[in-house]
Amino acid sequence: MGMPTTYTEPELVLALKERNNQAFAFLYDNYAGALYSIIRQIVTDNNELANDVLQEVFINIWRKIESYDQTKGRLFTWMLNIARNASIDTLRSKSYQNAQKNQELPDNVYKGTPNQTVQQNVDNIGLKKVLEKLKPDHRVLVDLAYFKGFTHEEIAEMMTIPLGTVKTRIRNALLQLREYLK
Amino acid sequence: MNLKDYIASGIIESYVMGLASESERAEFEQMCAQYPELVAERRKFEESLEAFASRQAERPPVEVKAKILEAIGGAGLRSVSSSNPSKRIITMENSKSQRRSGLLRFVAAAAVILLIGMIVLYFQASQQNKELANANKALEDRVNKSEVALQKMIDEISGPTTTVVNMVGTKREPKASANVYWDSTSSSVYLLVKNMPSLASDQQYQLWALIDNKQKNLGVFDATDKNIILKMDSTKKAQAFAITIEKKGGSAHPTLDSLQSVGKTQLTQ
Repeated sequence: MGMPTTYTEPELVLALKERNNQAFAFLYDNYAGALYSIIRQIVTDNNELANDVLQEVFINIWRKIESYDQTKGRLFTWMLNIARNASIDTLRSKSYQNAQKNQELPDNVYKGTPNQTVQQNVDNIGLKKVLEKLKPDHRVLVDLAYFKGFTHEEIAEMMTIPLGTVKTRIRNALLQLREYLK
Repeated sequence: MNLKDYIASGIIESYVMGLASESERAEFEQMCAQYPELVAERRKFEESLEAFASRQAERPPVEVKAKILEAIGGAGLRSVSSSNPSKRIITMENSKSQRRSGLLRFVAAAAVILLIGMIVLYFQASQQNKELANANKALEDRVNKSEVALQKMIDEISGPTTTVVNMVGTKREPKASANVYWDSTSSSVYLLVKNMPSLASDQQYQLWALIDNKQKNLGVFDATDKNIILKMDSTKKAQAFAITIEKKGGSAHPTLDSLQSVGKTQLTQ
């Protein structure tokens, strides 16, 4: 009996929960590219580290597949959040911070001083490209929340705007993003 | 709560993208259990996000997949081997006594082989140990020697009779910088290159001591000798030090129009 070469999502989840290596290879082939793209948009300037994160993400998917709950969302959504969280954890890790310090990247991106070179490197791929279509004050908030992993409270404090405003602006920005994704 | 307003509030996007707070998540999940329309809307957004992300996919380096499969495969193997021993024990218990004597002979033979193997390993290990100990000793000697040399250098550099000469770049090369440490009692001269522009492969820097309007050669060095302390030739006297660019190996007389950096000793100031 030949193994299926393609799976529906429930089949794939079932096969993964049964620890089927072939299903896992299929998962990798179909989703690694999309997840790698999001990782690279967060861990922006270190390919080596982005590769490590991708590896960590897939190993975590394999280990934690039992805890995936279909009623809460699609498999890709679950994996995307694992990838985003792992990337942000890396971003905040000591080793990454040290590497950043050594490169002496300017931190004036959010202080109203545009920094073209940094912006271009980071903004010309994936979701970040779509972000460009948002109003600057919305874009900054989504960037801080989604790509840098700050909480709404932290952002409110950082930008000295009320928490409610942060929340509404991010929600509005996401609604606009939704339109651009189509 | 009006479902339409709830959907229009951006909660779906916020939830799916992992930006909703703990309480917002709990509320959303409860609403989903209640309203199939909300689930359908969530699915729609998830699908468009997934489709978008797939369109934006970026090929990861091939070696990453191999590494991951190796890590996963390793996990798989471990679970197989842990379930094996129990199976083997069962077959042994079921085997007949006839076969047991065969098994005993096999075990005895295996024990002998194991013993021989262990003796060989032991000798190999002790041999290796000796080699390691020797290598360690040699390394220790070298470290001790360098330490003594380094300490001597540090003592000289920080001694009361040592003059630190800050070499300042000339107009030609304002960024060139280096420090000369000159001990007037022992005549030793050390040079610390901080920042000297790189040179063509057939050129080298040369350090000079200026004594009564004459120049004394103190040796050559490269721009790449950065942040290490070089021992240069000794000089009893010096009113100033100068660095010039010369052909590789150095010149007998300095090429003064390639003067890179000059520093006066405090003694003459």
